Amino acid sequence: MKRRLLLLLPLAIPSLVVAALVFGHDPVEFDAAQPWIHRTDDFVGSQTCRTCHLDHHDSWERTYHRTMTQRVTPETIQGAFDGREVRYEGQTARVFRDGDRYFFELPDAQGRREAEVVLAVGSRRYQQYFEREQHDEGFIFRRLPFLWHIDEQRWLHLNTVFLGPDDANWNKARARWNDNCVFCHNTGARPGETHRVSSGGQRQFNSEVAELGIACESCHGPGRRHAESERSPVGRYTTYAGKRSTRDIVNPAELEPQREIEVCGQCHGQRLPVDRAHLAAWLQTGPTYRSGNDLTDHVIPVVRTTPSPTEQIPDLFKLRFWNDGTPRLSAYEYQGIAMSACHAEGTLKCGSCHTMHGGDPKGMIEPEMRGDAACTSCHTKIAQDIRSHTGHVETSSGSRCLDCHMPRIVYGILEVHRSHFIEIPDAARDAETGRPNACTLCHLDRSLLWAARESRRIWGDAFRDPLHRFDRAPLELPDATTSLLAGDAVQRVVFASAAGRPGSDLTPAEKTDMRVALAVATGDGYPSVRWTARRSLLALEREWDTGLSSLLADWDHTAASTRTDMAYDLLDRMASSAPPIEGAPSVLLLPDGSINMERILALLDLQEDRVIDIGE
Amino acid sequence: MNDDATRKTLVLGWALLALFLPLGLTLEALHALKLPVYLDSEMRREMWTLAHAHGNLLGILCLVFAVVAAKAIPDDAARASIARWLRWGAVLMPFGFFLGGVLNHEGDPSWGIALVPVGGLFLLVALMRTAWAAWRS
Repeated sequence: MKRRLLLLLPLAIPSLVVAALVFGHDPVEFDAAQPWIHRTDDFVGSQTCRTCHLDHHDSWERTYHRTMTQRVTPETIQGAFDGREVRYEGQTARVFRDGDRYFFELPDAQGRREAEVVLAVGSRRYQQYFEREQHDEGFIFRRLPFLWHIDEQRWLHLNTVFLGPDDANWNKARARWNDNCVFCHNTGARPGETHRVSSGGQRQFNSEVAELGIACESCHGPGRRHAESERSPVGRYTTYAGKRSTRDIVNPAELEPQREIEVCGQCHGQRLPVDRAHLAAWLQTGPTYRSGNDLTDHVIPVVRTTPSPTEQIPDLFKLRFWNDGTPRLSAYEYQGIAMSACHAEGTLKCGSCHTMHGGDPKGMIEPEMRGDAACTSCHTKIAQDIRSHTGHVETSSGSRCLDCHMPRIVYGILEVHRSHFIEIPDAARDAETGRPNACTLCHLDRSLLWAARESRRIWGDAFRDPLHRFDRAPLELPDATTSLLAGDAVQRVVFASAAGRPGSDLTPAEKTDMRVALAVATGDGYPSVRWTARRSLLALEREWDTGLSSLLADWDHTAASTRTDMAYDLLDRMASSAPPIEGAPSVLLLPDGSINMERILALLDLQEDRVIDIGE
Repeated sequence: MNDDATRKTLVLGWALLALFLPLGLTLEALHALKLPVYLDSEMRREMWTLAHAHGNLLGILCLVFAVVAAKAIPDDAARASIARWLRWGAVLMPFGFFLGGVLNHEGDPSWGIALVPVGGLFLLVALMRTAWAAWRS
């Protein structure tokens, strides 16, 4: 009998496997059952994709797309919730944790209140936090007032990171996740607006997403039909044998360039719903665009001339672009590339340089497309003789394709990024329209008039002299210094950033004017300009130590009340420590080494009065 | 152990070990050298790891069979037949796994994997018949 039972052994193992599959943990089911997650509209979640696409799932898992929105756990929280107090404009918050729960203690009308963090957005440069407000028939995730800056390892009030003037209103940036961030920082967003106002007067939402963060189906489209059609091994091997094409899923790499850039442009290109019907759908069931569609059937990409939907801010969109129509804020990369001849008249698409499944997650650029290769892989003739094309020696930054054709003129939360409008620098156009010029972002001591004449000398008569500067400052003055003082807030932050960037051919002594202009910028009325000026001055101090480092390092740039004192303090120290160097003529220092306040004030007077206030 | 069937099985056992033990070293080397052609394909890694494991285990099984076959399966004809089934299974299974990791797809092995169930069937028959013969003896 016992021997006969032994013969049943081969059946035992398969039976155990079947039992484990039936009763064991199923990651697909587990994900689908989490709060705020839906499985409607044919979305299935990345765990389902992982079943077959292990390698692509692994490579996506490394990206900041995946971690764009996360539930709060000790593993996902990056901020220091260590009980410290963080100050802004005379009020204090306290950040602390209780076990695995994280809190802000905030000032409010009744005194103090505790806000529990339930959602974290961002994981690369900074992380923002959201609390949950429960209403009668829905909930709101509300943004908390401080973000964690990952590189600097410090808390910053949101008012100080967006491009706006000092503002003591703590709640200015308390955005609602449900009809803002939800769209692009998640997959398959369904805001679920209930169209009922709560007893507290709030719009109410029952928001869900197919997946927190930007996952497979954001770019490949909802995957249910694909997953079902590919479940049969016979079907799959028929596909492998070339007898059947893979259906029901979009591979952006196989789309024609315009459709491909629209896949990225659904988020990396600010847009408005195409009409009221689409807007209503957006707020209830989410964006109607799916990968592979014509994006313009669903949304209108915002350009400089797009009318503002609100009368209170007539320049709402105009301010987001340079006067020649080039985007000057991040999240307009689609508009930039769509304007570029390489795309409009060629075959350039996002995937020409970027990859979602390889390379460094920072920037997501194909390893072989880093630097000049991004351009020279197509422009092969130029690559054969770079010097004759650029008029600069091969090793100079003037011979780097991206520095001239994709200059860093785009602001995005305390950073200045490359423009995605691939263009030819034109000093006359840039002077007259008041936008930064690629030449003078590097030649910080030169004027736009000089840049125009050098362009003509190197590349011919297509380049004319500018007639005037947009800000009406003298054309002969160095553009960087002038723009840093007389430009609008975006110009100031762009040049403040350029001044501290490594790679300039100028000697530290030749940057004296930039140091003085940066010192003036520490007194700027925009905290993001002060942040950038402070960072650049610290970078310049590392090149040439004039004893300002500790003063700058200890300074809290977010405190508006200290800005004027800081600027004057720095100018005083510069006047005593940095006399003009022979052979390095200065426009902001007088021959005796004192500060040319008359010129500084004259340039500051040229700044536009118009307030630029651009949140995210 | 002197009959032809067990001798062939013995030779095959050592041959499988000679092939699939060094495969383990090769896989370690691919890890050490961080070769993307191996490391970037989860499917290939799984297939070749299975080939390594099955090749060695089945090699050992062949050696054990060669040692105990005469005692466990007294009937010469049955022993020869079972040894043949065992040898085919022991060859097809690890090679099927290995070939499954050559020119494989991201979520599926290549056509070579078809050898695995065939080999598995051969092995199952060999093992069942061995168990039956041993029980009857």
